[in-house]
Amino acid sequence: MKLELGVNREFCEPLLELKHVTKYYHGAAPALEDINFSVAEGEFISVIGPSGAGKSTLLRCINRMIEATSGEISFDGVLISKLKKRDLRKLRTRIGMIFQHYNLVDKLSVIENVLHGRLGYKSTLAGVMGRYSPEEKQQAMRIIDLLGLHDQVYKRCDQLSGGQKQRVGIARALIQDPKLILCDEPIASLDPNSAKIIMDHLRDVSAQMGITVIVNLHQVSAALKYSDRIIGVNQGKIVFDGSPSALTAEKIAEIYGSESNDLMVELGERYAI
Amino acid sequence: MKKIEEAIIPSKPLTRESFTMWILLLVLSLLTIYALATIDYTSVDMGKAMADTLNNFKTIFFHPAAHRLSLWDAFYEVLITMGLAFLTTLFGGIIAMLLGLLAAQNLAPKQVTNIIKGFVAFIRAVPSILWVLIFAVAAGLGSVAAVIGLTFHSVSYLTKAYSESFEELDRSVIEALMASGANWWQIIFQAVIPSSVSSLLSWTFMRFEINFANAVAMGAAAGAAGIGFDLFMDSGFYFDLREIGLVTYFIIAFALVLETISTNLKSKILLKKA
Ligand SMILES: Nc1ncnc2c1ncn2[C@@H]1O[C@H](COP(=O)(O)OP(=O)(O)OP(=O)(O)O)[C@@H](O)[C@H]1O
Ligand SMILES: [Mg+2]
Repeated sequence: MKLELGVNREFCEPLLELKHVTKYYHGAAPALEDINFSVAEGEFISVIGPSGAGKSTLLRCINRMIEATSGEISFDGVLISKLKKRDLRKLRTRIGMIFQHYNLVDKLSVIENVLHGRLGYKSTLAGVMGRYSPEEKQQAMRIIDLLGLHDQVYKRCDQLSGGQKQRVGIARALIQDPKLILCDEPIASLDPNSAKIIMDHLRDVSAQMGITVIVNLHQVSAALKYSDRIIGVNQGKIVFDGSPSALTAEKIAEIYGSESNDLMVELGERYAI
Repeated sequence: MKKIEEAIIPSKPLTRESFTMWILLLVLSLLTIYALATIDYTSVDMGKAMADTLNNFKTIFFHPAAHRLSLWDAFYEVLITMGLAFLTTLFGGIIAMLLGLLAAQNLAPKQVTNIIKGFVAFIRAVPSILWVLIFAVAAGLGSVAAVIGLTFHSVSYLTKAYSESFEELDRSVIEALMASGANWWQIIFQAVIPSSVSSLLSWTFMRFEINFANAVAMGAAAGAAGIGFDLFMDSGFYFDLREIGLVTYFIIAFALVLETISTNLKSKILLKKA
């Protein structure tokens, strides 16, 4: 099913579509300039590019944590740039997000942090009171088990390792029952071993649950190994969009500009991770 | 890194500011000595005055006794003072909770936080007793003015303390929850307050203790009843040193009990959280 969609993505209604998306911060140069691409359901996409290329900006424009200056973004058939606050909230429940620094509430336990992922589905009052249904709690436990955190359920998050924290981050996103998960450098603060565990989990999420994953990465090798498709960004523009096998050394040089020399070494270990 | 820097830097050089400071201190000490040496004591004999004062202290602290007040009366009056402290802390805490949310930089826009922080800093700069006297103009001297004035000052104190406690939760965490569709009030109650509950409690107890001390003073200075008023009457009208001693011991005992309760409560809540 998923493979089929991947192959025939031009013929399917895309899950996510960006048209002429442009973002200006205060400066004269745009952080994003005329970004166009569409994403089919179930795809695993890596976004790579040098520091300051606009990867984080791109990801945050999708769930409108940052407002794009112009352009259209539609998700699941809805034009999100026009949504009112309330509908935007509803839309965000279907988009999970994972961060480099995990962004968990450190003083709360794992299960409490995971359940936070359900707040968006609740009325203000139910959320304020922290009323979670038994089904929600069971679901939280299932996801925590799935991510291998069953021994940590009641531990406070500041007692976890980086890799464990990031798994809590994934669990918090998964309990949202999302169609899309956005990951902003999820493994940039992790050691290679934990990084591999996190990337494996993300791949499982995509392959087994059919959830679309877009992940910003610094490591070209990880992008090559895990993604169905790679988008290369440089100075706010998409300079590469294709399958990992199409990403040649010249393309990498183009994406990374002057930074690329260091990367060639990494590319030598193309399938090392 | 910091340690190394400190090691390299030799002992503090004599800067312009520290030089001015030293000169100032020197002049002040000289003036003090001069004043003490040349002051006109007229009929007061310094030695006798000291001895009398010590004698009074001895009466106060070693021979406490009840004349006007029964023990039960004294206890009841302390309870009234406690009530004053409790009420002002409660009112202050509730209002400061709302203002604190609006004054926390991770929760509110910068302009709003600046306005509120400036406003409470101004209130805090004026001592609580002055606020009580200011409100006494409208409400008349008494418990109403004391409650309003002390509440006013508590609000400003707790707003600063609470907003700083709220700021312990990083803005990025709040954004992460926003990104999952949670709204502001949900985030406040499910993430911000649970993260800062121990500091909130510490500051509230701290303010309660301050308010208890203030409430004693208000009884004397603003006629707000309670044990402070008895202290004032004993010293100013009846000149009953022994009863002053008794009342002082009562206040100390209560302050100790408060301290113990708050410490226990805090550690219990902290244990439950951990
Ligand atoms: N809040 C902001 N205000 C102003 N300029 C910003 C802001 N956020 C990002 N920028 C600018 O926009 C450009 C893109 O930033 P962005 O964070 O999207 O890059 P990135 O590809 O994620 O970089 P990195 O790999 O370092 O995370 C940069 O030039 C950055 O300076
Ligand atoms: Mg970034």
